[in-house]
Amino acid sequence: MLRLILQLIGIAVLIPVVAYVTLRMENRNADGPSIVFPGGELVSGELYTGPEPDWGFTRDIQLVELELTNPAPPSSRLIFILESEGKLYVVSGYMGTTLGRIWKHWAVDADEGDGMAVVRIDGVRYERQIVRIREGEALDGVTAALREKYGGNSSRESVESGNLWVFELAPRGMNV
Amino acid sequence: MSNRTYLAVCLAVTVLVAGSILFVPGLSEAIEQNLLIFLSTNAS
Repeated sequence: MLRLILQLIGIAVLIPVVAYVTLRMENRNADGPSIVFPGGELVSGELYTGPEPDWGFTRDIQLVELELTNPAPPSSRLIFILESEGKLYVVSGYMGTTLGRIWKHWAVDADEGDGMAVVRIDGVRYERQIVRIREGEALDGVTAALREKYGGNSSRESVESGNLWVFELAPRGMNV
Repeated sequence: MSNRTYLAVCLAVTVLVAGSILFVPGLSEAIEQNLLIFLSTNAS
């Protein structure tokens, strides 16, 4: 009897695990992320070319799609977006913990990768270079924008201590 | 259930669940929506 109960428990666990793995695999090559799962390369949408945009319009946008091209294959996810002093930023919290680094592994990839990124905002793709900002006065503005837009109690100190990682989405080819 | 039967059932369940998600229209979106509701309700 105990054996049968354990087998039924095994099947009950198997169903959500298979569902999760299937959904994740299904989204892996999709044109962009779903709400829950990362997606693949951002394909659709106009590729922006031209002068650096006025990023002020992103203050009214809660989530954007961010693709990292390295490590291959490209992967994309939904992410908060911030604008501060005319520059574009994304952030990743909980990075001071092992669990956070596993959960937000994209940030580790971004930090260790070649920096090539594409961000899709309102259906327009922008090629950017993702650069981690570890210290400096710019963080005061970024964390203030983060608090104002998304809440929380982030500060320059939380970035400099490594708990919150801040990345600038800089124009490609710029040394930030 | 014998081990052989149990493995066959597990395999069948795996194929059924994965196949349903992949080929039944709207099912993956529905599961994801419910997952999102669960996460937003229970997170924090």
